[in-house]
Amino acid sequence: MSDALHHLQKNALKPKYTGARVTRKEDARLLTGASRYLDDIEIPGMYEIAFVRSQRSAARICAIHLDAAQATPGVKRILTAKECPCFFGSAEDVANGVVQPALARDVVRYVGEPIVAIIAETRYAAEDAVERVQIDYEPLQPVLAMRESLLDQPRRVHEKTPNRMFHSEYQTSGFEDAFQAAPHHLVEVFQTHRQTGVPLETRGLAATIDPGSGRLTIYATHQSPHGLRGDMAVALGIEENELRVIVPEVGGAFGIKAHAYPEYLVVAYAALKYKLPVKWISDRTECLLTDVHARDDIHEVEVAFEGNGRILAIRDHLRADAGAYSAFPFCGAIGETVLASRVLTGPYTIPHLATTIDCTYSNKTPLGAYRGVWGPIASFVQEGIVDRVARALHLDPVEVRRVNMIPDELFPYTNAAGQAYDRGSYRASLEKALEMLNYDELRAQQKTLRDHGKYIGIGISAFVEPTAMAQSEAGSVPYESATIRIEPNGSVTAAFGLGPSGQGHETTMAQLIADELGVDLKDIVVLHGDTDSAPFGGGTGGSRSGPIGGGAALKAGRAMKEKLQTLASHLLEAAKEDVQLEDGKAFVAGVPTRNFSIRELAQVAYTDVLRLPEDFPVGLEVVARYQPKRPVTFSNGTHIAVVEVDAQTGMIEVLDYVVVNDCGRLINPLIVEGQIQGGVAQGLGSAYLEELRYDDQGQVTTTTLADYLLPVATEVPRMRIAHLETPSSGEGGFKGMGEGSLIASPAAFANAVSDALEPFAFMVSALPVTPDQILAAIDRSRDSMA
Amino acid sequence: MKTIQATQSITLNINGQTHSLDVEPRFLLSDVLRHKLGLTGTHVGCEHGVCGACTVLVDGKPERSCLVFAIQAEGSSVETIEGLSADGMTRLQRAFQEHHALQCGFCTPAFLLTATALLKQTKDPTEQDIREAISGNICRCTGYQFIVDAILAAAKGEEA
Amino acid sequence: MKPAPFSYIRVATVEEAANALSEYTDAKLLAGGQSLIPLMNYRLSKPTVLIDLCGIEAFASVSLKDDVFTIRAGITHQSLHEHPLVRAYAPVLAECAGEVGHWAIRNRGTLGGSLAHADPASELPAAMVALDARFVLTSVRGERTVTARDFYLGLFTTDLAEDEILTRIHFFASSANRIHFAEIARRPGDFALSGAFVRVEESATEITWFGVSDMPYHLTLDALPVEEKARQALFTSLASTLEPLDQTVYRRKLAAVVAERAYLKGRRVQA
Repeated sequence: MSDALHHLQKNALKPKYTGARVTRKEDARLLTGASRYLDDIEIPGMYEIAFVRSQRSAARICAIHLDAAQATPGVKRILTAKECPCFFGSAEDVANGVVQPALARDVVRYVGEPIVAIIAETRYAAEDAVERVQIDYEPLQPVLAMRESLLDQPRRVHEKTPNRMFHSEYQTSGFEDAFQAAPHHLVEVFQTHRQTGVPLETRGLAATIDPGSGRLTIYATHQSPHGLRGDMAVALGIEENELRVIVPEVGGAFGIKAHAYPEYLVVAYAALKYKLPVKWISDRTECLLTDVHARDDIHEVEVAFEGNGRILAIRDHLRADAGAYSAFPFCGAIGETVLASRVLTGPYTIPHLATTIDCTYSNKTPLGAYRGVWGPIASFVQEGIVDRVARALHLDPVEVRRVNMIPDELFPYTNAAGQAYDRGSYRASLEKALEMLNYDELRAQQKTLRDHGKYIGIGISAFVEPTAMAQSEAGSVPYESATIRIEPNGSVTAAFGLGPSGQGHETTMAQLIADELGVDLKDIVVLHGDTDSAPFGGGTGGSRSGPIGGGAALKAGRAMKEKLQTLASHLLEAAKEDVQLEDGKAFVAGVPTRNFSIRELAQVAYTDVLRLPEDFPVGLEVVARYQPKRPVTFSNGTHIAVVEVDAQTGMIEVLDYVVVNDCGRLINPLIVEGQIQGGVAQGLGSAYLEELRYDDQGQVTTTTLADYLLPVATEVPRMRIAHLETPSSGEGGFKGMGEGSLIASPAAFANAVSDALEPFAFMVSALPVTPDQILAAIDRSRDSMA
Repeated sequence: MKTIQATQSITLNINGQTHSLDVEPRFLLSDVLRHKLGLTGTHVGCEHGVCGACTVLVDGKPERSCLVFAIQAEGSSVETIEGLSADGMTRLQRAFQEHHALQCGFCTPAFLLTATALLKQTKDPTEQDIREAISGNICRCTGYQFIVDAILAAAKGEEA
Repeated sequence: MKPAPFSYIRVATVEEAANALSEYTDAKLLAGGQSLIPLMNYRLSKPTVLIDLCGIEAFASVSLKDDVFTIRAGITHQSLHEHPLVRAYAPVLAECAGEVGHWAIRNRGTLGGSLAHADPASELPAAMVALDARFVLTSVRGERTVTARDFYLGLFTTDLAEDEILTRIHFFASSANRIHFAEIARRPGDFALSGAFVRVEESATEITWFGVSDMPYHLTLDALPVEEKARQALFTSLASTLEPLDQTVYRRKLAAVVAERAYLKGRRVQA
């Protein structure tokens, strides 16, 4: 083998950065507090906004008294719906004849809905004025219960529109016969309660007229810079080139920052119409009241199965509470149910499925995206079904999974809902997780401990994670874009339309580009979050940035590599295919001394242009767009939680947690593990702690972090993670992985509690499950046995 | 006895520097650090003392800057993330990078200050000591595991 | 979420504080503020005058003389938790002070503040009731002493007059013997769902519950049954008379559990 060929193969097999545990380029600024988040932005002469919000879930606005507020020191201007006549209308709402005004007009439809905006010199002064606004309401009966509201009871949320804002039905051919013929059946009602993303940085917006260009400039905490620009331009009635969106450092997003909110229109409109530089940043109570809520679903499920655990058919009536309006620009209730209905059979060969979906308006906060959207709910139902079948038949839950799991030879596999799964490691991930846990031994221990009054539970969750979807939170943009520019001194600037909020794209995208161009990671700067510099893209959401954004990075990298090879081959008088890129140099394969550094090539490309080959465009810039051929690629894996339930208190302690994850080819295992660990922590919150509760008047009663409980370091277990890599057919073989850990983990935690409480014949059917519910279940069981 | 009604001049010692500035008594230390002194590395996450994102060191001890009025901090020395980073990154900060102990970075300065105070008083903390010390700091991204690993590594003096 | 305006008074002595308090009718004492400032940030509390006690000299001292502990009210929870005298001679107090909130909260929140705030789910008021502590209340009218057991009147309600300041706490070190403590909270640092201080003597037992009523709930019993089932049945029956503010059934159950756990802890320690 020639040295050159050897080198080539070595290079092809082992890229320097891709797949390596590379530490992040972002970290230095974040670790030193130098970074700039939205509330860190100061615009000269900037005012702050505070909102007067509805304290009623349903009421007519009879009068708004602003005199005292107007007289408050520091107040600049006050806006109501009259002064700020903007609105958002998602496609779903518009189809129903509904739009959401930026500030409530005539009627309020949920607690927290903005009614009046106070623009003042400081937030302190603005809040002083908020207190002095008096609103006269005429109460309306709140619409709060999903089943009743679907029947327009007690009334319609929007007078002219039925509450049932979405309905669909689906059934596999032959469903009824297969269902009826099955020897065993069971029924269950699964429910998930309202939760929300709670990023540590709350959401907000600042806006000003750029004095240079005269354009409106918006600073936003958002996942889709271009998406927000388009939506705001339409709502404000301006052209997209008259609006610049800058997304500064984003302190977590988790889906809630994929949405645009009524407050954003108010802030932008104030800047545009009144030429005031203004900022509004949500406080934590506003966050819990008005960030999109999620997970408000009921699944009424019937299951048909055989004596060996083989599941034949699932019927599910899915209901979701959309809230008072569809969140903008997409409706969480529809997203959660429609997409859940497509993956309800999970990693199993369940041949028959029948689903009915109903979504309703209510007098609650709009339902939108929270990491995983439909996934955590679908997994909770799907894995809950499997464990119920196992319990009904006195089988080990692992056996029922083995019986139903899609065998490797069936890929690509089309599930009962018509979703096409690409190849994965379904069986292997389950077996690997069991091995890591030493499952059989643990089962034996569980039995012994149970005899001593200790209740250990093992909860398995085998999951599918649809990623890189053509349609997702990032809108209907099925591609991503990347530009790469090599600057005249040879350094590399890349730009993306992504909207990261901690995922480390500046590092992962740079890893991919560095390997393509053979340059050092530190010589690459990755830009994002400014519609003036970033190429148009969908943004970040739906686990798409790795597979689609990464694909764009590879395509752009290759295009640039090709340019460099063309240029170098001309200058080196060598065949283009013999030109290699490594260590910042282009050289003839096997003769590393015959080389030009990237810096020298850049000098030629920009300044010494007479040396360029004929037809070679001056400069070194490329733009590439990547649209995967498949409309979705499925990641998969298995989580297993081991918990102990204190039968005296109902408290749960997590003893062990194992993850086997397959997201195709890994770009950076360190970052992937960070995503998994964070998602499992959120899953623990979803399963045990987090709930946005409403009282019977539609008041949210969990408006502080002392009521809405987030997982803390003493609760979250140490996790053990293993990776499997089944490449996708897309560029690079990457699959998405931002949501799988939160898709899988609530089901694992729920099943673990169900398993621990098997002696008490209890199974978790609603999330979150709380200690008082657990204790009540134990008592019921003891009473019935007594 | 000193009564202060409207805006008042105060002197604060922040990161070893003396600052004289005018504040209303009601101004929270977090707001004064961020918006009067431009020390925006202190982040505000809940303003009711639960999330811990605004934690700073007051006389070396972690405290919530959203639950202290700036005027109360007269006579104390306050350290923020900017002070911690004055001479480049500390071993702890480097360990955070090495162990991927941060994602969005919003909670990170507060974790660093809390852990700095912990390591000052407990040279060889156990994992449980660390988890308890940081249990008043919420991180929504990392699941804490890599944060714990980073603090353990810094305590052991492991260098990247 | 920003507080409403107020005037701020920093005092250097208890006398100054008492004078200020008598002068301004709508004043509130700032004794660390870790409960007050959140309420002010939410504008649920809007005092027009705030009297800051944190500058009072030597307001955080602890002394032990002839079996009498004297603790001045300005001590922070963390200092109480770490104080060598408290650790050695009233370990149950040191232990429960370490359960108040989180580290950063304990570094500023004070004993006096917590005792006067009278949150029914808070550890320290119940500890004082269990210890049968005396509170010294100071005003321009002079000083008076009230027992912790008489001090608590109801939900966030105490015997403290508008012009009074809780300045000192006394209790017998010997009374701290044989008191043991257990609590159950949703997460560490959260307010307790239920907690109990149990004091077991040869012939008598005292239980002080918190988190299960509008204020610390103290009762004295004969000696406890040694047999586990009988003892637990007794705790359950006692707990069934508690009137928790919410989750009645659950909190009563937990009350019986924490009483038993505190009792067992005592038996282990004393064995």
